[in-house]
Amino acid sequence: MHLVLIGMNHRTAPLDIRERLSLSCGEEGRPLAELLAIPGVDEAFYLNTCNRVEVLVGTGTPDAALAGLRDFVLRHGNLSGEMLERCLYLYRDEAAVRHLFRVTASLDSLVMGEPQILGQVKDAYRSSAEANAAGAILNRVLHHAFRTAKRVRTETAIAANAVSVSFAAVELAKKIFGDLRGKTGLLVGAGEMSELAARHLLGQGVGRIVIANRTLARAQEMASALDGEAVGFERLPECLEAADIVIASTGSPGYVVTAEMVGRALHRRRNRLLFLVDIAVPRDVEPAAARIDNVYLYNIDDLQGIVDANLAQRREEARKAEGIIDAEVANYLEWFNTLEVVPTIVSLREKVDAILEGELERSHAWMQHMREEDRENIGILVHAVVNKILHDPITGLKEESQDHAARPYVAALRRLFHLES
Amino acid sequence: MDILLFRAALSLYLVSCLGYLSSLFARRVLVAKYAGWGLLAALVVHTLAFGARCLATHQNPLVNIYAALSFFAWVLAAVYLVFQVRTKTRVLGVLVAPAVVILMMAASAGLGGAVALPPILRGHLVSVHVVLAVIGEACLALVGLAGAMYLLQDRLIRKKRATRLLRLLPPLEDLDRINHLGLLCGFPLLTLGVIAGALWARTVWGTHWPGDPKLVWTLLAWALYGLLLHQRLALGWKGRRMAIGALTAIGFLLAALAATGLFFQSVHTFG
Repeated sequence: MHLVLIGMNHRTAPLDIRERLSLSCGEEGRPLAELLAIPGVDEAFYLNTCNRVEVLVGTGTPDAALAGLRDFVLRHGNLSGEMLERCLYLYRDEAAVRHLFRVTASLDSLVMGEPQILGQVKDAYRSSAEANAAGAILNRVLHHAFRTAKRVRTETAIAANAVSVSFAAVELAKKIFGDLRGKTGLLVGAGEMSELAARHLLGQGVGRIVIANRTLARAQEMASALDGEAVGFERLPECLEAADIVIASTGSPGYVVTAEMVGRALHRRRNRLLFLVDIAVPRDVEPAAARIDNVYLYNIDDLQGIVDANLAQRREEARKAEGIIDAEVANYLEWFNTLEVVPTIVSLREKVDAILEGELERSHAWMQHMREEDRENIGILVHAVVNKILHDPITGLKEESQDHAARPYVAALRRLFHLES
Repeated sequence: MDILLFRAALSLYLVSCLGYLSSLFARRVLVAKYAGWGLLAALVVHTLAFGARCLATHQNPLVNIYAALSFFAWVLAAVYLVFQVRTKTRVLGVLVAPAVVILMMAASAGLGGAVALPPILRGHLVSVHVVLAVIGEACLALVGLAGAMYLLQDRLIRKKRATRLLRLLPPLEDLDRINHLGLLCGFPLLTLGVIAGALWARTVWGTHWPGDPKLVWTLLAWALYGLLLHQRLALGWKGRRMAIGALTAIGFLLAALAATGLFFQSVHTFG
């Protein structure tokens, strides 16, 4: 039994090719039926996300299966042979297991450590199981992949800490306010960036969003999209009084929020903490505001600095994760490799047991005069001798299987013991 | 029996303390959760120890400075647990649990010693004075610890680097809430404790204010806490300024403790 994996991801293939392939393959169930129809393919798994298309099959005849898989991709991707070579990667056995483990643990993702991929792989596996496309091999390797992904998540900090500017701002807000529920967010300037940040804030449970913009119409437009309130710039001072988190992103050349405005607002809000996020270039909030007690001001460079540090940390953690992957791949292969010798061991045992039972049966007559207890003891003795004799060859065979060197031994054993192939 | 229970409580405090400390390094909330349960268990056993002591001696267990230290540890742990439940902030345990263990170790030096109180310190009013003052001071000690954490976290956020310490420390608003709650509970209790003491002093020494260094420092701290509470409630002081105030005031309270324990002879030296 072998594993063959074929696929393309965001690094190897441009979006339009991935798109074409995934569209043509269609919904989950369909490609699986088609894959199982390929000669030599016994088990199939099909993963399709916005960054990758992957096909993993279990097969007894890897070369034939591979030809079939290439044909499958060629047909659906509508690709030339040359393009196919460039976009596609192809892994067998150990390499396939490693790739699958890395994908599931989010080490191969566009944003390393992003959490969605594990769910996507699980969904794909469910489809496989429902279509009866997953057998002993795929069940085992996929469950092992889930376990590995979980280990990577809990034992490394690969998924910790924000790696986007808006998430970094949300994380900081949580370090200031703790729970964001019931807090008020104020967007100064109705730009795309501030809308994204506002959605993150709403996702964290921020109770109320106020949008202040120079042109009221634009503010109203965004307010209806975010279910917030729109105000004009002239009401900015009173908005500062009520807001907890302020996100400024206007295109204004000068400061829109001055230190003096902040100071007065703070006094009126009875010194409640205020978090100012200035993502505008040139800046919207006068830097001197940061010197006021209970006011925290971050600009775009500050946030970017945090994101960069977090990304560097993820790369560091990824090294640890690769170590875990190595260990788990080795662990899986230990099981996988013995598969090769298992049928031979089983038939050897069956044959020996049949001989043993037959001989005991035949000796039944002359053992009649013995006591029941002695007869039992003879049975136990014979079994023990046979087990002792078989022990070394069976463990030897399992050990050899770890280096893929078992084949000649298997052949010799089958021949010497006349085991049917 | 009460000694055995005391030792069991001390061990449980130690376990809980190690739990809180290791939760810092393990980065697992679960460890801190278990540490919290450990602290609760220790508190229960500690309560039983006091109960057993009462049954054995048929008198108020707060007979000497060691018993008072043990009682202070008990109150600190109890007050902290209440705060932990109310603010859902476990990191403060990293400071509180070791403080409790140190208090308990100091208390274990005088384990089982039944010192007959001087007649001057016998009476219900003395117990009221001690209990109120100790509970109030435990609240204010927590306020001080939260203040120290607040100043540290404030600095870290202003430095604009996402360090591990910044992620570890609780949010500023949670720490400020501890300041608020702690002052609201601690100040009235301390006030009542001081009044009870003054009334007792009147009956024994004939004056409300025996000239005593501990009393001077405590009254200074009390005045500062009063001022802080006023600023907080009337003027809306919050955050950094309150944290600095809380730290200063706890300094006065510690000075009061040092004044009795180390340097001076005073009416508060006992046991």
